[in-house]
Amino acid sequence: MHAVDGVSFDLDEGEALGLAGESGCGKTTTALSLMRLLPYNGKIVSGSILFRGRDLVKVSDLRIRKIRWKEISIIFQGAMNSLNPVRNIGQQIAEPIILHEKVDEDEATNRVGELLELVGINRDRRRDFPHEFSGGMRQRVMIAMALACNPKIVIADEPVTALDVMIQAQILELLERLRKELHLSMILISHDLSVMAETCEKVAIMYGGKMMEVGKTVDVFTDPKHPYTQGLVAAFPDIRGQRTMPASIPGDVPSLINPPSGCVFHPRCKFAFDRCTAAEPALAEVTPGRRAACFLYPGVPEVTPRPMTVEAR
Amino acid sequence: MRAVDGVSFDVKRGEVFCLVGESGCGKTTTGKALLRLVDATEGDVFFELPTEEYRRYEELRAGRAPDAAARIDAIRRKYSFSWTEQLAWDTRQILFWLGAVAAAFVLGVGLPALAAAGIPGALVNTGFILGASLLCGLLLGVIGSLPPTRPSARTPTVLALLSILAFNLFPIVAALGWPATLPGAPFDAPGIWATVWGASSFAMLLGVIVAPIAAGAASKIVLARRRETEGLLGVKMRTLRRRLHLIFQDPYESLNPKQSVFEIVSEPLVVNKIAHDPEEIAALVARSLEDAGLRPASEFVFRFPHELSGGQRQRVSIAAALALEPDFIVADEPVSMLDVSIRTEILQLMMDLREKRGLTYLFITHDLGLAWILADRIAVMYLGKIVEQGTAEQVISHPKHPYTQALISVVPSPDPRHLVKRTILKGERPDAVNIPSGCRFHPRCPVAFERCGWSADEVAEELTSLSSGGRLPGIIGIEAQDSRAVTLRMAPGVSAGVAAATLRQIVSENRDSRLALKGVAEIRESGDAIQVTLQSWAEPPLIELGPGNAVACHLVTPPAEAVPAVTA
Repeated sequence: MHAVDGVSFDLDEGEALGLAGESGCGKTTTALSLMRLLPYNGKIVSGSILFRGRDLVKVSDLRIRKIRWKEISIIFQGAMNSLNPVRNIGQQIAEPIILHEKVDEDEATNRVGELLELVGINRDRRRDFPHEFSGGMRQRVMIAMALACNPKIVIADEPVTALDVMIQAQILELLERLRKELHLSMILISHDLSVMAETCEKVAIMYGGKMMEVGKTVDVFTDPKHPYTQGLVAAFPDIRGQRTMPASIPGDVPSLINPPSGCVFHPRCKFAFDRCTAAEPALAEVTPGRRAACFLYPGVPEVTPRPMTVEAR
Repeated sequence: MRAVDGVSFDVKRGEVFCLVGESGCGKTTTGKALLRLVDATEGDVFFELPTEEYRRYEELRAGRAPDAAARIDAIRRKYSFSWTEQLAWDTRQILFWLGAVAAAFVLGVGLPALAAAGIPGALVNTGFILGASLLCGLLLGVIGSLPPTRPSARTPTVLALLSILAFNLFPIVAALGWPATLPGAPFDAPGIWATVWGASSFAMLLGVIVAPIAAGAASKIVLARRRETEGLLGVKMRTLRRRLHLIFQDPYESLNPKQSVFEIVSEPLVVNKIAHDPEEIAALVARSLEDAGLRPASEFVFRFPHELSGGQRQRVSIAAALALEPDFIVADEPVSMLDVSIRTEILQLMMDLREKRGLTYLFITHDLGLAWILADRIAVMYLGKIVEQGTAEQVISHPKHPYTQALISVVPSPDPRHLVKRTILKGERPDAVNIPSGCRFHPRCPVAFERCGWSADEVAEELTSLSSGGRLPGIIGIEAQDSRAVTLRMAPGVSAGVAAATLRQIVSENRDSRLALKGVAEIRESGDAIQVTLQSWAEPPLIELGPGNAVACHLVTPPAEAVPAVTA
């Protein structure tokens, strides 16, 4: 089964990219592939991840270990469950520092204090255990942990899901500030488009493991090209707008085990025509700086069918 | 700890009422208290309260009529389902019923005994036995239905059956009590029983018929009386549960994975004895499922929750809630776990059902955007209190309370062109165990001022932070003395006068950046220390700005005459 297929994007230094889509559309899988952290039953079958001229898919396990956390780090989904409950947070943040930077414990402790203050937690709280923190605070700890080794890219996987609106705003503000201060590149994964509207320069919309549309945030939100993006943008209630029920996209997310033929979105698409069921559109430029995978736009090529790869576990 | 305190609102028939607030502010607790899934310690939940009764209730509460308490209780007894005094039935009423039993005793036993004095022979036994059966029946029927028992629809039947047993045990108990009746014979319970049945089998047979009839009838009469006086309680609450329903937050957790869709939806029908006939149940289940948008129903009934998508699961939850045709539904974050593209469909479905079945919703959500599109009226809660209440336009478009304003400002806008200035509150909501004094919101409020309830601890903390920043030279000890005063001690050799003057200046300079300093009323030197007294404060009452629109904030001035504040 192809959980993620035909995903392609680029990220400049200091840029924030939003990866949006419904649950089960492959956002997290994409993120984990970037760090080569896929579980044992997952595999990158083909493709390349170019990071500073190096293809991360091809480098050895030993090398990728050096890159992980030091160059690319991740804020895992679900701050509630990602921290080890039996170790205090200072130890947990210090762990990657000691592993990667070959520093002694005192220096690591010092760095932990700096990191905690960076994310707005008193440095004296490093001896506290995860259960002593609230949800928002734990998320801050996760962010401190991701920043432990001064990475270049931080992947934030649903950093504000399950948090209150106010805490959500606090965390987003913090991420935004850190990005500016530390010149980070960031990949923000979320199912909530409105979170991206305010933080990311670029967004990529995913559906059914495929990329539907990539472009500048403002453009994508104001003039969505792909019917799925149009549906998503229309599905958000706007508190500053009219009191009308937002539009919905009828139907359910397709199963990835048995994906629909042709374009994955065609069973829910109101513009679908015969070509959509027969062939799969590739991600192509539809207007300058904007790529979409939809046959509604002339010049969108078909995906050349790939021979089915059979993997032995 | 009070999770919810002083919350009062009314939901009109056919309305969507939204409770909005951060997690832990007591929204869900309020919702559950409404359905009596948790019992409120005090206060009332009225259901189907006629408007004139409600007006009377309000008048009685506001006025000082001498018999107000009793009259309020009369209304509460009738319409409130958090009326908890049902267990303490009036002693007078209990005495009345026991008197009735005594009368029955006289009729049942006394009359045959009287007759026995006149007519000798077999009839005496018959009379005694019939009297005993009547006595057993009435005693059981009355006592078994009086408080503190919690009656159900089955109570009379159970009591009738029990009375047969009691009647059969009666001769044995009698023999135990008066062994003289069987002189010399060893006590032998089955023997006594057999003797009595053998000696007067016709009378015993009659007794077996009379006792359950008496018990059932007495129980029914007492229960009918209770229902009248206790209003919604006891017997009626169970039937009321059919009309009030809950849709849970998480469709992945709230459905039993071992039950099929059919079992989930039919369970309320079976439990509440709405239908017995399997075909009828199947038809009702199919109808609920189709109403909830699972068409054709036949395709879904035999599926299990893991075979459904998130949206379909939530539809099953809705179908189960609809099966009993409720009037009032508490929807606790029904779409927060669903994907955006599915969310609208579920909301649309809920709104369609409101039209179709005349439902009333209490919608609990943390998402102001949802409240905006759905609600007729909104109440914003903070730490267990309502801070603002009004129609959706009033609350969302013209928020008055600083908390509501901040909440609205942080709702992300899906349109990147409309960036608004966000007011991000500091910190997190305080623990409900340790509620701030005065206005609960003041420690996080961006516009808090003197009257909002600064406590000595907060002021001392702010002064300590100034002092540790080196802004208060010569002061070495800062201590909250009691709730209204802070004592500052000086380093040796520093004069109190000079230190107090510096302090005054620092406080007045930093009042706007460190709001807690606004709580300082007076700085005065007393001997070798400086005494800081705090402003007096008051908890802001919910001020009525118009019909149905109320705000609890000191910054809001009531429209006409000043409402007296509750001073602490």
